[in-house]
Amino acid sequence: MSNSTLVYSVETSNPFLEEVMERSGQNLRSCYQCRRCAAGCPVGDEAVVTPDRLIRMILLGEKEESLKNLLSWKCVACYTCGTRCPNNIQTARINEALKQMAKEAHIEPVIPKVASFHSAFMKSVAHFGRSNELEFMGLYELENFKQGGVNAVMDDLKSTSKLGLSMLKKKRMHFTLDKTKGRSEIKRLYKKSAEKRGSKE
Amino acid sequence: MEIAYYPGCSLHASSRLYDVQTKTVLSKVGIELSEIEDWNCCGATSAGKQDDFLAIALPARNLGIADATGLSEIMIPCSSCYSRTLVSQKTLERDPKLKAEINTELAKKVEGKIKVSNILEVLLSKKNEIAEKAVKKLAGLKPACYYGCLLTRFPSDVPVSDNVENPVAMEGILKTIGAEPLDWGYKTDCCGASASVNDADTALVLMSKIFKDALARGANCFVTTCPMCQLNLDAYQDEVRGKYGIAKGLPVYFITELIGVSMGMDAEQMQIDRHFTEAVGLLKELKLL
Repeated sequence: MSNSTLVYSVETSNPFLEEVMERSGQNLRSCYQCRRCAAGCPVGDEAVVTPDRLIRMILLGEKEESLKNLLSWKCVACYTCGTRCPNNIQTARINEALKQMAKEAHIEPVIPKVASFHSAFMKSVAHFGRSNELEFMGLYELENFKQGGVNAVMDDLKSTSKLGLSMLKKKRMHFTLDKTKGRSEIKRLYKKSAEKRGSKE
Repeated sequence: MEIAYYPGCSLHASSRLYDVQTKTVLSKVGIELSEIEDWNCCGATSAGKQDDFLAIALPARNLGIADATGLSEIMIPCSSCYSRTLVSQKTLERDPKLKAEINTELAKKVEGKIKVSNILEVLLSKKNEIAEKAVKKLAGLKPACYYGCLLTRFPSDVPVSDNVENPVAMEGILKTIGAEPLDWGYKTDCCGASASVNDADTALVLMSKIFKDALARGANCFVTTCPMCQLNLDAYQDEVRGKYGIAKGLPVYFITELIGVSMGMDAEQMQIDRHFTEAVGLLKELKLL
């Protein structure tokens, strides 16, 4: 029995798989490739790789391919794959873990604007405790600039400025700054999170 | 009856109309919403993608404030805020170590006792009162009820308030006020959420499928409870229609404004003129305004 490939042990497993499982909290080994996730994935067509393929890639220890896969960046976190999986594997969580791991390994984001967006959002919340569209959009374009220079910003502004204008027209833009008074507590939580990440690396 | 209320950033900003509608309509059926003091952003999808600790800790601060009110229930209309808050509460229930770690940083500690409800749960509990107050029946209104992702699908194990694949709460409420909701196939499909800003092609194709099915079934509007879904289907409608050759547009209502109209309120009170896609016309055509 001990020589069977069906027997799992942490020692003989690949370290990349172990890390993805730990960070995502998902048991990838229970995947038996039924592909219900693939059938339900709304971005499967666009992303080429479907959740089942990604899981298989990780199981095979294809670290670089996995950290650069398009699905993790196209994933809209709709959680359809996870609710339909007979073994409760939430691939959206795997995608989140992979993007964080790619960032730590200094791998360029596959879709830079997605990285800019979420990073700007978290900065915006750190500033005022609440998200304010105008401040957020400023931070987002700043992140786009860092990723791709002026061209990236100009390209993005083509669509976002259109939305901004219609929001203005429809009285859906607000100009006051919504703030949380207890921002010191929020800053402490951010600090704690940074410490925890530091201890993990 | 007093219920704690977490509006979240959207309802204080781009979807202020939803905040106004929600408070007005619920007060008519005897629910007083008490906004929790000094709340913070739930972290939305960004925290989930960037920072596992903050994804639990940011909503936890709000849960501590909510527990301290002594009220038994908190209502969260935004699907994303609702999802993040419920996931945080249930995660902390399962993980006492993390709960203790987060609580040391909080002035108001998470106890975990308050019931976290979405807006449909609260509206359903007042279904009879809503029916009684409905002076106008919404005859001729054929909505495609759009739930989106986060009301019934979660990143971890939490109790779900409706059927995961085929939720029916919205249809139930709309039928009691005389609307004729349709059966359709995309009620829990994704609108793309923030991809509309950071990966537009993906969001547009997802929305095009939602529009095509709703129109093929004969819908004359969408109804939703999620401010993100509402904003996407409403504000990007012209772009979706242009790119995918969809001939007809559809107003995208919040369920609250339709209940308001059935109670006899006008477009101004419900701020129906603040939609990107014209939304007053259909209600006038049906002689509801």
